[in-house]
Amino acid sequence: MKFLIGLIFLISLKVQAQLSPGPRFTSMALTGVSLQDIWSLQQNQAGIANSKKAAFAIAYEKTFADQELSTQSALLIYPVKAGALGISFQKYGFSAYNTLQTGITYARTFGPNFSAALNFNYHQLRILGYGSSSAFSAAAGIQYLLSENIRIGAHISNPGKGNFGKNINATIPVQMQLGVSYISSSKVIIAGTIEQLLHSEMDLKMGLEYNLINWFAIRAGVSANPFKQYGGFGLNYRKFKLDVAATSQPITGYSPQLALGYEF
Amino acid sequence: MDKLFAQVENNQIIELLIEDLAESLAEDFDFSEITERLNYYHKYPVEINKITDDQLKELFFLSPVQINNFINHRAENGKIIDLLELQSIDDFDLLTIKRLLNFVYLSAPNSINGLEAKLLIAEGNHDLMLRFSQLMERQKGYLIPESSTGSRYLGSPQKLLLRYRYNYGRNISASFNAEKDAGEQLFSNSGKGFDFYSGSLSFQNIGRINKLVLGDFSLQFGQGLTMWSGLSFGKGALVTSVAKPDFGLKAYTSVNEILFFRGAAAKISIRRFSITPFVSYKNLDASLTETDSLNSTSQVSSLGLSGLHRTKNENENKNALTQFIAGANLQYQHKNIRAGIVSYHNRYNYQFEPGRLLYNKFEFSQRSLSNFGTYYAYNIKNAYIFGEASHSAGSGYAYVNGIITSISPQVSVVLLHRNYQKDYHSFYNQAFSEASNAVNEKGFYSGLLIKPNSKLELAAYADLFKFPWMKFGVDAPSSGYEIFSQVTYSPNKKFKIYARIKRELKDENDHLINEVNGLEQVCKQSGRLEINYKIIQGISLRNRFEVSNYQKSEINDLGYLAYQDIIYDPMQSKLSGNIRLAFFKTEGFNSRIYAYENDVLYSYSIMAYQNSGVRFYFNSRYQLRRGVDLWFKYSLTNYKDLDKIGSGLDEINGSNRSEVKFQFRYQF
Repeated sequence: MKFLIGLIFLISLKVQAQLSPGPRFTSMALTGVSLQDIWSLQQNQAGIANSKKAAFAIAYEKTFADQELSTQSALLIYPVKAGALGISFQKYGFSAYNTLQTGITYARTFGPNFSAALNFNYHQLRILGYGSSSAFSAAAGIQYLLSENIRIGAHISNPGKGNFGKNINATIPVQMQLGVSYISSSKVIIAGTIEQLLHSEMDLKMGLEYNLINWFAIRAGVSANPFKQYGGFGLNYRKFKLDVAATSQPITGYSPQLALGYEF
Repeated sequence: MDKLFAQVENNQIIELLIEDLAESLAEDFDFSEITERLNYYHKYPVEINKITDDQLKELFFLSPVQINNFINHRAENGKIIDLLELQSIDDFDLLTIKRLLNFVYLSAPNSINGLEAKLLIAEGNHDLMLRFSQLMERQKGYLIPESSTGSRYLGSPQKLLLRYRYNYGRNISASFNAEKDAGEQLFSNSGKGFDFYSGSLSFQNIGRINKLVLGDFSLQFGQGLTMWSGLSFGKGALVTSVAKPDFGLKAYTSVNEILFFRGAAAKISIRRFSITPFVSYKNLDASLTETDSLNSTSQVSSLGLSGLHRTKNENENKNALTQFIAGANLQYQHKNIRAGIVSYHNRYNYQFEPGRLLYNKFEFSQRSLSNFGTYYAYNIKNAYIFGEASHSAGSGYAYVNGIITSISPQVSVVLLHRNYQKDYHSFYNQAFSEASNAVNEKGFYSGLLIKPNSKLELAAYADLFKFPWMKFGVDAPSSGYEIFSQVTYSPNKKFKIYARIKRELKDENDHLINEVNGLEQVCKQSGRLEINYKIIQGISLRNRFEVSNYQKSEINDLGYLAYQDIIYDPMQSKLSGNIRLAFFKTEGFNSRIYAYENDVLYSYSIMAYQNSGVRFYFNSRYQLRRGVDLWFKYSLTNYKDLDKIGSGLDEINGSNRSEVKFQFRYQF
């Protein structure tokens, strides 16, 4: 069974080795490149530049609702002059096979409409019985408020093609994202993203968040390539946030995830 | 205000509406009925304070949320006294209002029902139409000598249609159609005249009887899962059209030879309830197989759905089966809620053959069938919730549920879930589905409509579907998805541009010749760009460029279509028309591209472009005098690399295919 899981895992590794941007962005089909949240740390770090308060968040994701395969993430942001600092951790895999990624980010604003960020990551890969390997990668992103209700975002990760050793069949993807978000009213945000992974087909995604009432939001999204449907909801209670998401793929089934956040 | 929304006396409004619809719907669709409906309301607009929600539903461009908001607005605020008021109704954008005002009017407050009164006292009016069309090249089916034993077309290559309508105010109407398709016999030895006749007589508002139809009629209830004959919308750029506008009983006026009922039906209203009993007896085309030659009993092996009776074989199958249907619909309607139950029984004079193959194992194989269904539609705040559950006695169940909601003034969301069991049977099932019938399918559809301002519109949908049992050409349970996105930009009345992309992925059998095949993914993609612009008063141009792509294992076919339309339609001119020049090239049948064509009134055509070549047509209308119109259409397709067009009896020797069409209408 472990072998089988490992096999499935290896097949889907290219995609899975990406950062998991938390249930809010996931339920909006991973269209966070032009959105702002603590979870921007995992999709477009420029999205934390406007943070005025320190915050942290943790998330847990079950992949394909399997018993063992999971992703765990922890994030922390801290506002500084004209920007914010961020630290992120993410662990993915199961007992016999896992990756750990640690990142630091600096994001800052340039005027009221523009923000940019730089991010550095340290990756570790461990396979039981085979040992371990490590690698470095970098990422950069920008966001620009085009008009009162339209924001565009662009992001590139691992442009230096940092990777584990030659003998290891695991890659850190080189990914480019370009997105736009549209705030239709205080209740509705729609976001679209074009994503290009190196040596892969282009993906188009669209997500929507609807704040039914001020403490409850529902979210949904669709990505084209591969075709996936996403859904979820979020709750706010004072300084606490709880977000839940599920990803549905025609063949592999559902992947649920849950996150807790706190803003100081 | 009046000038802004002034009614234009030409046909272009309806043509544009139909085109919008055609571009967003499936290929093989009967638009004649909807064209007739819109023309009727254009000619006899309804007073805006009297229009009912059933009448609004007939104007297909209104979404259920808009209809409900309109009815609620009128109920809450009383009579509409100025058409400007429409702008204050939620979800009524300017385009919708402009469209609507072609079919409604506001009577001056002091005149005693102005136009309406005029309509009622009007003498009855008649509308007579004749249509003739013919392919100029001879098809193989006509060239085979009579002495030959092989199959051939028995009749002449002309296609004829005679259409007559009579209206007496809004209360009495009659319709009659007679049709002969190309290749069918006219006044043959059997002396039966035209191949297909259809007619109806209908009465409205006689005491409690809301509507009474004798002769041919159609029925549309709920979401079309249990009982829906004729036209039905599916996936398309009109994302809100997944909720079906059901308007119950209607006189049947189309020339489709299959999808209607023949008998009598009435709608009787008692306060919040209405009951629609119906009974129908008619013949269907079917091919029968003899199961017991001693007792000469037969079974139905397949139903004929084309309505074509050109060859000996097609004529033998004609009317081979009789169908008796009786049933009723009971509906409750009050304020924001509408719910109903529909039940009917079908009986045939032969049993249907049990499916011999694994994929059709669950198909209907009895002589009679009872169907039951219950449906609902409910408006709550900015959401419209709808659905239907159906059951075929002794076999399966089917469900469909959906919601359309405006989550902000600019954004509407549509969700629809369906689950149709593999052994659910209904002969009149037109519910929302990916496959041609709503059976053996589960799926979830989500659509989004964004109108950030009056100039820009974005429509998108994604549909995930699963077929739990095997299908024809798919030897295992399968799944797939379809995604669609369209952006329309119209900065002013003279210019409109839209771009769309569509991608569909499905499983199909592989190419190997095996008893049981493995499945392979088939991917169809297409992209389109279209520009419409008015250059001067009366002349508009339209350009389209479309590419298509088909992929299945080693096959990777590409196709393109580019065309130029010139539309001539000046105000107050007796002559109007349009011309198209199209260039196309596809690497085969799989990458073919469909495009809607302008045609003579009440006719419609959707051309499938495949192989490579050029197509040209011109279509014109001339008004001889008020009430007397003439239409003429000529089309020619020249294929570059073919010396034979079509296959079987339809084959043409040569590389040209051309057609002429004449139509004459006399209204008196």
